[in-house]
Amino acid sequence: MLAPAPGYGATFTDVRRRLAALMQGAPPVASPVPLELVSRGVQDAPTLRAAEPLEAGDMRAHAVTGARAPRFAAFLDGAQRSLVLWAGGVPVVHGTVAAVIRRRNERRMTTWRAPVLRRALYAPMSLLPRDWSEAMAATDLPVVDTLARRTPESGHPFELQEIAYQSVLADREIVEKELAETWCDDSTQHLFIDGGISGSKRVARAPVAVGVVKSHQKLYVRAEDLPLVMRLQPGERSSVVRIAESKRAPVASWYLRLRDATGYDPFWGLVRIEIAEGQGPRREAGVGERADEVSRWVLAEALPLSVPDARWDKMVYGIRDCEEYLRAIQ
Amino acid sequence: MSELTMGRVVATEKRPNTAHEFHFWTAIDSPIGIGTIVRVDGDTPIAGQLPRVYGVVVEGFSNTDLQAPIHDVLGHDGTPDGASVAATQRAEIRLYTAHVLRQIPEEPLQPVPMGKVVLASDADVSVALRMDTYLQPGSHTGIPIGIYRAGAMEAPIYLDADFLLGPEAAHLNITGVSGLATKTSAVEWLLASIFAHFPGQKGSVAAICFNVKGPDLLFLDQPGTLEDADRAIYDKLQVNAAPFERVRYFAPYTAKGFTLNTLRSNEQLAHNVTPLTWGLNEVMQFAEVLLNKDDIDAKADAFIDFLQERVIGREFHETPLSTPHRVRTFGELEAFFRDLLRGMEDRSGGEHWRTHHVATIRKVRNRLSNISTRCAGLVTDEGTVSDLPFGSFQDRTVYVVDVASLEEDAQDLIFARVVSKLREHLERRDLGVSHVVVFVDELNKYAPGDGPETYVRKMLLDISERGRYLGLVLFSAQQFRSQVHRRVVGNSGTALYGRMDMDELATPGYAVLSPAIKTKLATLEKGQLMVRHPHFAQPIFVRFPRPAVLRGRDGAERFPQAGDISLDVAVMRSLRPLDASISLDWVKRTIAGHEETDVIRARNVTVQTRPERVQPFFESQFRRIVPTDAPARQAPVPIRSLPSDDPYGF
Repeated sequence: MLAPAPGYGATFTDVRRRLAALMQGAPPVASPVPLELVSRGVQDAPTLRAAEPLEAGDMRAHAVTGARAPRFAAFLDGAQRSLVLWAGGVPVVHGTVAAVIRRRNERRMTTWRAPVLRRALYAPMSLLPRDWSEAMAATDLPVVDTLARRTPESGHPFELQEIAYQSVLADREIVEKELAETWCDDSTQHLFIDGGISGSKRVARAPVAVGVVKSHQKLYVRAEDLPLVMRLQPGERSSVVRIAESKRAPVASWYLRLRDATGYDPFWGLVRIEIAEGQGPRREAGVGERADEVSRWVLAEALPLSVPDARWDKMVYGIRDCEEYLRAIQ
Repeated sequence: MSELTMGRVVATEKRPNTAHEFHFWTAIDSPIGIGTIVRVDGDTPIAGQLPRVYGVVVEGFSNTDLQAPIHDVLGHDGTPDGASVAATQRAEIRLYTAHVLRQIPEEPLQPVPMGKVVLASDADVSVALRMDTYLQPGSHTGIPIGIYRAGAMEAPIYLDADFLLGPEAAHLNITGVSGLATKTSAVEWLLASIFAHFPGQKGSVAAICFNVKGPDLLFLDQPGTLEDADRAIYDKLQVNAAPFERVRYFAPYTAKGFTLNTLRSNEQLAHNVTPLTWGLNEVMQFAEVLLNKDDIDAKADAFIDFLQERVIGREFHETPLSTPHRVRTFGELEAFFRDLLRGMEDRSGGEHWRTHHVATIRKVRNRLSNISTRCAGLVTDEGTVSDLPFGSFQDRTVYVVDVASLEEDAQDLIFARVVSKLREHLERRDLGVSHVVVFVDELNKYAPGDGPETYVRKMLLDISERGRYLGLVLFSAQQFRSQVHRRVVGNSGTALYGRMDMDELATPGYAVLSPAIKTKLATLEKGQLMVRHPHFAQPIFVRFPRPAVLRGRDGAERFPQAGDISLDVAVMRSLRPLDASISLDWVKRTIAGHEETDVIRARNVTVQTRPERVQPFFESQFRRIVPTDAPARQAPVPIRSLPSDDPYGF
């Protein structure tokens, strides 16, 4: 007798059992470790990108002064989990993507509306044996053909696995974007977003959205200004620049040092902040004051520490809370 | 009222649930705490029935997502005040461990399932503690012990009379530190509750309380002060918030014999205080209580048996006695010994009488004669007996025997004899009531776990092991349960615990309690108890109201003890309850010229007999004093003068 068909959102174990039953054989072989722990993921090549200054004068360090009052009402983060089943030499990835907004109420965190959670199977359909294709269709999970828009260079199983992984990552960005857009449409309070905001025009233009980027594979600074950014002192920010990538909305951005990096590498406690740029011909007006204000909000999130997370120097506690929440529901 | 989900059951590999224990988490502001009773509703039917599990919280845990305290220290730069500036509070968990009280269905017995956790309602508490089995209409045997309180909910907690007063189980033991009056208050409250709720079809019930210290039990018939919260509990548990209607006090006299040896000696309260005095007959049966093993060797024991069987209470005349003896009092016993020993001394070489050596006879004489001295006030030389009303005990009546001011020997004697008499009468079913609760405080003194085997300890063991079949129920109390004989506390079906000393809680007897329960016990408020009862799978915390009687300390202030009084005043006070017309002048006239011992004897006989015409009866107890004529004065004989020529004169 076949196992009951898993419903929408079936877990990896459910799917594995279902596939084993459908194919009347031994359960499919699975890799024990999520790809997130072994894959390098989507990483841009380390580059320096010059950006158009928005703040008057040369690039310099600005001390952020004034009271650091927390103003963020909520925090948004997403997560994914990718586990591999092997159809012979072809990887089939069970991907789970999720995003949540955790709202802060009287210093305690609660979930805003419902989190988004989606599961799907990611596989190069044209390379799969027929019985696998049929069995996957019978699992009732959405099936994403990873080669629908791409052609593999070599067909190496790891290349196929990496393509699937990137598809999962792209879906994660989608759910994060959807949730952020909903907040920006419905709320007038400020939202702290883990990562950039330029992926969505609606979010990139929303005055309530603040994106905080922790990774610095791509630095938006000229080579001659790099030492200045690397030597930012705690509570200092760089001058505001305009970042306008292709296929992305332009945003105003600057670097901010959250913690004293003495004894650490130059990226210790360094984040890049993105907010909506001003509109109209005088879009530079007041951008410095605005950067100082938002920097104060971000600096106010320095406590409590996000330990034991290894990224605690850059990660604020609200985002850690989102991650813990998503880990629990995945 | 819709039920609010308070938590969810959780189980991990490291901390799995079992059939007797489970874990659940709650919101950090939930009203759940140690001792709270909860209900788990399972989601998956077992044999067609959704499982329900009832449990009581025994341990609580709280933690944040921090892995080490140092992280928090670093996060605040070592300044504790920094916590207040944190924009967000750390995620925090309240995790509780509960012990299973009951599972429904009870078979198959399975580990507690995942499910939502709610606060137990009134009905849930009843089911959880299996009270539903004895609170059925028509067969209600519940005795309220207090209320269980959680959140805004208050549920009455009942003990099963069949398991408190027999025959299924019986006896109650209460432990707690001294000074909070919890033990005495709890017993006073519980007696009131028993008197109000003991089912009529189960028979009648009375209580005998031995007051072993202070004035705690001496004002049970006087109203005390109650607060509204106490009255609310009385109302909820349907117990009348009033002092006991029928209380009788018994106390021996002081050694001097003028007044009763009790703190309840105020004249306003004398109406229900009765002397407790015994004579030779009453004491001889329990001579063993007063004579230690060094006293009673085999030879002495044999001679005492001989005295009991052949001499006491009957006409006895035998060589070398000079006259027939009828021994009924200690005085007559002394006369018997004196006559016997004189007769043996008169017979040359007569060192034995009826195989008893003269030394044994002297030893027994010495020890027995000593009893009336050691127990002066209780044991009378003249044999006056004033006793508890064995055979006419009344339903719902408290009999208090005040032994607080007595020597240890006298206390032991009273306890041994009263309990023995109760047992005898209950065996014959002629006590007057079918159940008697005997309350003894300071049990670690009377039934210690170690030390020599005493008569009193043997009696307590006997009650605790066999009393329930007779309706003889022991309510005992002590500060240190660990120091009481294991069989006494082990046979107590119901156990109450007030605030406990941490040292006591560290003893092995409390190993089954969780650290949180121990901590709660060490900090219990006055008026709170932990209850163990055969129907309850786990101990339960309850609140009980302040007893509706005057507290001992307050009573002692409001009704101060009578001071030292003269013999005539003492006699007047003793006789006035029998005849209100008796005046001090009349007493003075009547006893004038009589020996103090004769006056006391006459008073005792009058009080014991309670004659219709008190004054003539009292007067008749004295031998007439015939005034003697003064001898004629002889004329003085003049001293002869010395001869003038006496050579030795001066």
